[in-house]
Amino acid sequence: MTAFRAAMIEARHGLRARRRRAVLSAVGIALAAAMLSAAVVVSYGLGTGFDRAANAASLPDIIVRFNNKSASDVARRIRALPDLARFQLRLELTNVGIGFEGRSRDDAVAEVIDPGPRRGYAVVAGHDLSDRGSQVLIEKAFADAWGIHLGDSFYVQGLGPQRVVGFVEAPDNVGYPLAKPRFYVSRPAIEARFGHEPNPQVNLAEIWLRNPAYLNEVLVQARATSFGLNSISYATRSGVRVLLDQAAGIVIDLLVALSLIALVTAGVMLAASARAEVQRRLSAIGVRRAVGTSRAQVTLTQAIEGLLVAVPAATVGVLAGVLATYGPSSSLLELLNEPAPGAALVLPLLGAWVLGAGVPAMGAAWPAWRAGGGPVVALLRGGDVARTGRGRGRRRRPSRGGGGARRAGLTVLGMRLVGARRARLAATALTLGLSAGFVLLILALASELSTLETDPGALGERYALASYAAPSLAPRVARIAGVEAAAPRYDVQAADSYELDETVDVIAYPGNHTVFEAPPLVAGRRLRGSHQAEVGEGLAEALGLAPGSTLALDFSSGNELRLRVSGVVSSLDHDGRVAYIPASALLPVDPNPSSEIVVVVKPNANVARIEAEMTRVGAPPVRANTATSRGVPLVNVLREILRAVAIVDGLVCLYALIQACALTVQERRRTVAVIRACGAGATAVGRLLVGAALALVIPAAAIGIVLERFVFGPALSHLAENYATLPLVATGLDVLLVVAGLLLAAGVAVAWVSRQAVRESVVSGLAA
Amino acid sequence: MSGEGAARYGEGVPPVLVASGLTKAVGAGRAARRLLDGVSLSVDADEVVAVLGRSGSGKSTLLNLLGGLDSPEEGTIVVAGEQLTGRGARRLPRIRLRHIGFVFQQFQLIEELSGAENVLLPTRLPGAPSGGARRAARLIDELGLRSVAAHLPHELSGGEQQRFAIARALVNDPELLLADEPTGSLDADNGAGVLELLRALSGRAVVIVTHEPDAAAIADRVFNLVDGQLFAAVPGRAP
Repeated sequence: MTAFRAAMIEARHGLRARRRRAVLSAVGIALAAAMLSAAVVVSYGLGTGFDRAANAASLPDIIVRFNNKSASDVARRIRALPDLARFQLRLELTNVGIGFEGRSRDDAVAEVIDPGPRRGYAVVAGHDLSDRGSQVLIEKAFADAWGIHLGDSFYVQGLGPQRVVGFVEAPDNVGYPLAKPRFYVSRPAIEARFGHEPNPQVNLAEIWLRNPAYLNEVLVQARATSFGLNSISYATRSGVRVLLDQAAGIVIDLLVALSLIALVTAGVMLAASARAEVQRRLSAIGVRRAVGTSRAQVTLTQAIEGLLVAVPAATVGVLAGVLATYGPSSSLLELLNEPAPGAALVLPLLGAWVLGAGVPAMGAAWPAWRAGGGPVVALLRGGDVARTGRGRGRRRRPSRGGGGARRAGLTVLGMRLVGARRARLAATALTLGLSAGFVLLILALASELSTLETDPGALGERYALASYAAPSLAPRVARIAGVEAAAPRYDVQAADSYELDETVDVIAYPGNHTVFEAPPLVAGRRLRGSHQAEVGEGLAEALGLAPGSTLALDFSSGNELRLRVSGVVSSLDHDGRVAYIPASALLPVDPNPSSEIVVVVKPNANVARIEAEMTRVGAPPVRANTATSRGVPLVNVLREILRAVAIVDGLVCLYALIQACALTVQERRRTVAVIRACGAGATAVGRLLVGAALALVIPAAAIGIVLERFVFGPALSHLAENYATLPLVATGLDVLLVVAGLLLAAGVAVAWVSRQAVRESVVSGLAA
Repeated sequence: MSGEGAARYGEGVPPVLVASGLTKAVGAGRAARRLLDGVSLSVDADEVVAVLGRSGSGKSTLLNLLGGLDSPEEGTIVVAGEQLTGRGARRLPRIRLRHIGFVFQQFQLIEELSGAENVLLPTRLPGAPSGGARRAARLIDELGLRSVAAHLPHELSGGEQQRFAIARALVNDPELLLADEPTGSLDADNGAGVLELLRALSGRAVVIVTHEPDAAAIADRVFNLVDGQLFAAVPGRAP
């Protein structure tokens, strides 16, 4: 018989003999694997989403938007650029009316494209546009939201019914409903209907470079040759990523961070589980060594036994994690116009599976290898609780009266039994603490998301109404009853003079901007005077700005503006790549910036009456839209993912407690049997286990609270600081909820394990 | 070393332990073997009964049945007027707690508790009679364990450990004390000390199972367990 076959037979016998324990271990491994795979699905999917989408769509290196211009003129300018690989021109029409099965909108975006192999989008279903017939491609997120299928008839204002021939994902913008619905039609098809246009108008150019490393040089040249193009704006590939981040960056960062935390939690749990398992078997290893089994054979048997449990458990766990998170994360990716990872996930998931199955097996084999090398006599004593040298030599001082008899009740005894395994106590408490801290973080995050969703003031936006009327009407609006303040808000895009691919949203007010918009100040002070600026943290980080340094802005007008940075602010909008400057500085360098009138309403004022009055004075209002209110679907998807991860996390807590209690009872069978022989019933065994569970739960709760308060919360706040100030500190209620959850899990664990414990015969326990 | 139980079970009162027709088998099918075959035994208060037998003769099984740790296939057991056989899992522990004390060969002290805490443990169990702390202190003093009461079991000698185990068995003032090879892990001197201690217990019924003839010397009655049946032997003499 080969050594492997012998080990396999022995391992199978061992598993059969310890069936219940094997099942318990398998559940733990499955839960850890589920957490691992959930983390992989979420972090890999979101972390690589943009690059996958950009590659699939062949996203251009530069996207230039400008007012309508003849295609031949624009093409001539682009051909003059250095390092040009190819380019494509397109007409982007906004506010187009669309309709489908009784639903309609009048704010869709139509992309009129010329035929060509590289178009900046990926066809994910159906086929690309042909030059003939009434065909339309629809953005996938929008198609899913409206229930549009391939072959359906889709109404486009001015074109009539169009047949849907494909669904696309274009990563240059987020998808519906985070952005307006977008569809694509071909220019030849339009010309077939309306007649040939020899020199059509275009307002968007996509440019591919031979070597993207020369991006800055090309941009400098492009700006030089853009004379005559109005409202020009450049977006680079990295800039598009920034645009996406405006809507989803914080969500991605948070999810990746949460997944990493889940990964750490799973790792700690796996390690603790594996170590406990081998520790429990030390005496059995000693017996086998004593009868002549080789060290290698002992290790092989342990490894095979570990694998027999871990492989199916990890498989189930990985699949469960994928099932729980793949759907929600795919929905999130679709909102971002990014494809689901699909088969690309196989390799990372395989890694998670190998980790989930291999770590317990290795964890079983490695200590067996180490133990197998030790003295057999020591191993044979391995079943007893290890006494430390310090404890062995310690002598207690006899107390008076009671003859040294302290009031050690069953609960205290339970605590001591768990405390005897210090390493395991630490590992289990750490696992539970990480899980508790993670849940606390989710609760704190949920509170913050709710605040951001419902309270624009949390982002520093204080105006409730806006109007696209001329700035000159602002004084009239300010005089309307119930209006606290009204002023023009200028918003233009500029580029950093030194790093031209860093676009900056420049916001300017004629007076004190904090009346209308007061993003939290994180460094320096508010701007004073016409030569100062406040910059967002995202911009400060990208350009290395700090209070006192110089911000150099390059405007599309060709003018440059240099301002001293007075302070750094947090801003959820524009990924923090924002600069607040005085209108007196902006208007001389850009005389015609886009603007709106923003209105701060007095507390308890009649908003409807103000809106009516604004309309009467020629400034029809719109309700101010916060970044998060636009992102409600995103937040909902985030909640769904967090919920899935939190459920797995809760199950991990429950498992860790059950495992710890079960191991305590298993290892101390004799102790439990002695107590039962003395007359302890199920209640008394329950009390013993309550003590054991409390010994784990109390430090775990403390670890969780400390971790959330001093590690997780600040780390996540730091990640989010480009977008908003999120304190992410769990409230007292959150802490109470988590402690109650832990106690509930402890209660379930104690009830289950004590029921199992009293089923065992006292006699066999005494003989253990 | 008198017990409160002595007042309840003196002369003219029923025996503390009455076991009749106990049958117990191990194994199944062809491998089945009867360890006990209709064993009957009655032990009065103040009486020490020793059961001798070879290893595997069923001595410990008999003791486990008498203590309600295991149940017979046939027969009845009554301890201090309480029927053990047929009792549910909830009632049996309560009977053990109030009426039965165990002394084991391997002492079975709990490693994490000091000697005194081990003695006190049964008094902390739900349903334990009141006055446990007072009885524990008295037992520790009477057994000469006060100076080592705060020591952990591994810091004690074998004799000290067994004396703590006896104190633990007596702390709830049981009418019946069951001792399984009480001197099996002790040297001759310590073993003799423990046997003296068991002999000195008054007011209780004591059943000792052992394979050591010396232990039988302290017994009022001695039985041999052979082929699943009890045979009376001459007390004070090796069978």
